[in-house]
Amino acid sequence: MLALTGLVGCSLVEYSPNQTHLPTAERGLTTQTLALLQQMPRAATADTVRFVFVGDTQRFYDETEQFVASVNRQRAIDFVFVGGDISDFGLLREFRWVHQRLQQLRVPYLTVVGNHDLVGNGRAIYQSIYGPLNYTFQYGGTKFICLDTNGREYGFGAQVPDVAWLRQQLQDTTGSQRAVVLSHVPPTDEDFDPALIPTYTAALRGCSRLVFHLSGHVHRYTAGQPFRDGVTYLTTYSLAKHRYHIISLWGQRQFRLETVTYGPDA
Amino acid sequence: MGQMRRVLLGLLAYGSVILPMQAQTDAPPQAGPFFLTLHFAGGTGLVALGGGYRVAHQRLEPEVLVGYLPRRLAGHRAAIITLKTSYIPFSPRLGHSRWEVSPVAVGGFINYTTGSQYFLTNNSAGRYRPGYYWWSAAVRMGAFAGPRLTHLGHLSGRYVPKQTLYAELGTNELYLVSALTNRSLKLKEILTLGGGVKGSW
Repeated sequence: MLALTGLVGCSLVEYSPNQTHLPTAERGLTTQTLALLQQMPRAATADTVRFVFVGDTQRFYDETEQFVASVNRQRAIDFVFVGGDISDFGLLREFRWVHQRLQQLRVPYLTVVGNHDLVGNGRAIYQSIYGPLNYTFQYGGTKFICLDTNGREYGFGAQVPDVAWLRQQLQDTTGSQRAVVLSHVPPTDEDFDPALIPTYTAALRGCSRLVFHLSGHVHRYTAGQPFRDGVTYLTTYSLAKHRYHIISLWGQRQFRLETVTYGPDA
Repeated sequence: MGQMRRVLLGLLAYGSVILPMQAQTDAPPQAGPFFLTLHFAGGTGLVALGGGYRVAHQRLEPEVLVGYLPRRLAGHRAAIITLKTSYIPFSPRLGHSRWEVSPVAVGGFINYTTGSQYFLTNNSAGRYRPGYYWWSAAVRMGAFAGPRLTHLGHLSGRYVPKQTLYAELGTNELYLVSALTNRSLKLKEILTLGGGVKGSW
């Protein structure tokens, strides 16, 4: 009986790999992290915000451990941002395997939902473990706007991303010097709802405080102004690439991008 | 001569006792082929009901289970339909008791979860190019192993009533793929626990 209780304790009892049910401590991690972040003083000097940006952790558990070890050796990092595809199959255990590794980070981490995270019951699972698919937070004079851009998962249909919500968030930047938009699928990708590209990019173009748009999904670094409208779009590496970015923001729209290589070949 | 008669009489008397017992070991009355199952967890729902038919000298137990996944556990209600087979390589009786213990039974399963969010294949979802996702969100396959404890009742009618309590440690193909591609993912992390009771009368 004691052995059985122990087995239940280490969550062997599973009703479905698609279940959303979690221990209380692992529910609503985004809200928990944001509360923690608001109490933290900025790590860098002056008005600089410095954070790690990395993409898809999906089924790269070994690499995620190496990534955590590398980030924990960095100094003056405020937080880590994972640009979606936390899971590969959209199963609860995958999210937990990633969280168990990322919670070893010395700084808080935040996420945005990726297309793999929406497979099967993934949407309900992401909402259970992390929280809303679209959310914003303010930190170090910067408004971070995180949103679901995985249009293909909804069969397109001009619903996702929620451009009206994005426009409203970009207009209301009271109390922030600058804004950053983070999503998984960039608008240059075939998985972004083509019907929403014009309004989405126009909303970004209309915000004078926007520093840039950050995404994952493509598993590699790209940078440019693909819509030739002065808006910079960056994509970052997946965990499999053994590389991540450290982004520093300061002043009006100043930024610096550093690339860190980690793991056995670093 | 008198001694011979005593031996023969003795053998006869012994035989009259032993023969029915031998007959019992040669062809003991068996449990019936049909059984019902009440199963808990192990990826087949909160609780699943079903039954099956014993084959291969009662060493194989193929069965069908219909599981219930409540809204509270998964955000949406769903049914999980499972086809499953257990193989019981041996099930020795505990002394002369009516109990049998099988240290390990092994098996495999395939199941289907209902709900529009679970696509059968990425082509059937209609929104992906071929090969976009290689797995099915609705269908899981897996394997399991675990002990069984069986109680045999008294013969009443044609069959011996038989009740089995079992536990199963298992995993599914997607957890296995995750573990095979990651050294840091431990066996314990991919295991699931289920169990239940089977009965036939």
